[in-house]
Amino acid sequence: MNKHKIEFFVGLFMAIGMLCMAFLSIRIARNEFSTTGGYEVQAIFTDCNGIRSGSPISIAGVEIGRVKQVALQDYEADVTFMIQAGVILQKDAIASIKTKGMIGEKYIEITPGADEQPIAAGGRLRETQPAMDLEKLISKYVQGNLSKPAN
Amino acid sequence: MKPTIPTLAILLFFAIGAHAESPLQEVKTSTGNVLLLLKNPKVQGETKKNERRQLVRAEMEKRFEWEQSARACLGRHWAERTPAEKAEFVKIFSEFLKNNYSDKIATYYSDLDKVDYQGEKIIENYASVKLVLTTKSKVEHPIEYRMEKSPSGDDWKIYDVVIEGVSLVKNYRDQFDAIIAKSSYADLIKEIQSKQPTNSKLL
Repeated sequence: MNKHKIEFFVGLFMAIGMLCMAFLSIRIARNEFSTTGGYEVQAIFTDCNGIRSGSPISIAGVEIGRVKQVALQDYEADVTFMIQAGVILQKDAIASIKTKGMIGEKYIEITPGADEQPIAAGGRLRETQPAMDLEKLISKYVQGNLSKPAN
Repeated sequence: MKPTIPTLAILLFFAIGAHAESPLQEVKTSTGNVLLLLKNPKVQGETKKNERRQLVRAEMEKRFEWEQSARACLGRHWAERTPAEKAEFVKIFSEFLKNNYSDKIATYYSDLDKVDYQGEKIIENYASVKLVLTTKSKVEHPIEYRMEKSPSGDDWKIYDVVIEGVSLVKNYRDQFDAIIAKSSYADLIKEIQSKQPTNSKLL
């Protein structure tokens, strides 16, 4: 009888352990660890190349959230942020796409604004700056030189 | 001297006028007005340089909401300033912009070949107007004007211009933030005041 009782509790312990593992795996996959209890904010970028679900969002190098979703809207990138609870963003804060190092991971940096009104949950950041496309700039420079009229 | 795209963009940036129905229409109308003004034969030549500059400054005075731009550029430090400091900052920063751009605008307008308007997007009291500037050397440069409806609701005022994806407000906000973090607000004021149109390090 006592043996059965021990086996039952071992089995129960294993089952609870497996459920916890499954729960944690799902949370990690969704990058929800640091954003529990946060709020959503949207922003439109003309180009969000390199930003995907899970990309970090930071202020002054401190992570304050993660990108939840990236979707196409009117041929622009509609990016949904999940911001940590307690972090206040002004309505005129600027969201810009940055790169860690020259070829590192893309992330979103928020530059705090001057507006006295904080952005509400589900609100939209109107100021965005897309990633700098070096290839485009170099192409333009070369194209510009080639197309100059001959003197 | 070759004109620069920021200069051409700022030419249009400060040229936005009132009395139009939509942000796009205002940009179109005012751009045409300023280009005509600068091409006026009565203000051509080196001897009329100062006159051209004054015309551009007058246009800038009429068309731009300095407080909105100054506040956006100062960012989070705006709230820390007293009303007197805010008024002083708006005055100094607007002078800085006018001094840096009025002469360049009057000098460089000739490099603009054509303007292609891409359209407008309005969300509540804010709007974005996109266009492409083409220089005489056939180089295209995308420009975006960010505008806010005036409190009276009669017209739209530009508070930011994005050139090649780089925002004027973001550019200055980052620089001002770095200067204040490194030294102080008083040093930022000294820094702006010390800048001359020909040797500005901030631009």
